[in-house]
Amino acid sequence: MSLLTEEIRALVGKEVSYTAPEELGRASIRYFARAVGDDNPLYTDDAYARRHGYDGVIAPPTLVCETNQYADVPPDPDGYAGHDWHIEIPGTRKVRGGNTYTFHRPVRPGDVVTATWRLTGIAERRTSGGQEMLVVSSAAEYTDQQGRLLVTNEETIIFVALKEER
Amino acid sequence: MTDPTVTGPAVTDPTVEAGTEVAPLERTIGLRDMIAYAGATWDWHRLHYDHEYLQERGLPAPVVDGQVFGALLVEQLQDWLGPRAVVRRLHFRFKNLVFAGDTVRCVGRVTAVDGDTIRVEQRILIVDGDEPERVAVEPAGAEVVLRHPEQRDPEQCDPEGTEAP
Repeated sequence: MSLLTEEIRALVGKEVSYTAPEELGRASIRYFARAVGDDNPLYTDDAYARRHGYDGVIAPPTLVCETNQYADVPPDPDGYAGHDWHIEIPGTRKVRGGNTYTFHRPVRPGDVVTATWRLTGIAERRTSGGQEMLVVSSAAEYTDQQGRLLVTNEETIIFVALKEER
Repeated sequence: MTDPTVTGPAVTDPTVEAGTEVAPLERTIGLRDMIAYAGATWDWHRLHYDHEYLQERGLPAPVVDGQVFGALLVEQLQDWLGPRAVVRRLHFRFKNLVFAGDTVRCVGRVTAVDGDTIRVEQRILIVDGDEPERVAVEPAGAEVVLRHPEQRDPEQCDPEGTEAP
């Protein structure tokens, strides 16, 4: 039986966009750096950042890719409150594949970010153990309030068929 | 805190060339750190903290959010190369789940240097005591550009045109 139904195939090309209701802000930059354990002063010290060619503190690059902060959607039963394509495939386990980020310009506290996600492809594959799987590819573009491209993010999510109980 | 412009190897040490090892970054990720990261990224998924939820799914402990490894790979490069370094591209694939309390080590190697552009390959290993190392993230890698100290992104100039002192 194929994991790829017509209903799922129809999602290819779907696009959804989330705009933050306010600027990214210094506090969220400082909080993220603190949570990661990254004490780089580029994220917290304006004078230091200026000495190194920026207009002031910048955001840690991968913070911008965290879409939940812009999405403002209610939590699902798993507690997750963020961007999701809501693909449910019974008898599979959903796992993360990986990401490719391209950072186009530094992100500043005053930037108001819009994340635009597009489902770019769905492919049927098999694991090395022979299990069926479905690889869902998406791409996000993060832009600022002037429409300038900040970051692109290509992401894969994998649905792996569970081994049948015998 | 020491100024990385003084201590950063890329500034004082010219031997960033193909084959050079990237200084490793090691971090133990406890539940407290995971809660902090979940808060900072608005990610309240129960996988990251809810023991009952994890038990029902046969998972031994809270699962570390994979995206934190992107942040650590950037930090590893930035700490090593200093504030001149701008990460332009970063890619990573997840191999194994990492659980609360695990210690991870980011390792890497320069694969190519082309003018001001440095390419590196990276990996993240789980290194817990006497247990054999497991791979958390592989393959991974980045493209980093070293800016000249006086160089500013043209698009990023101060609107007032004020010069940095």
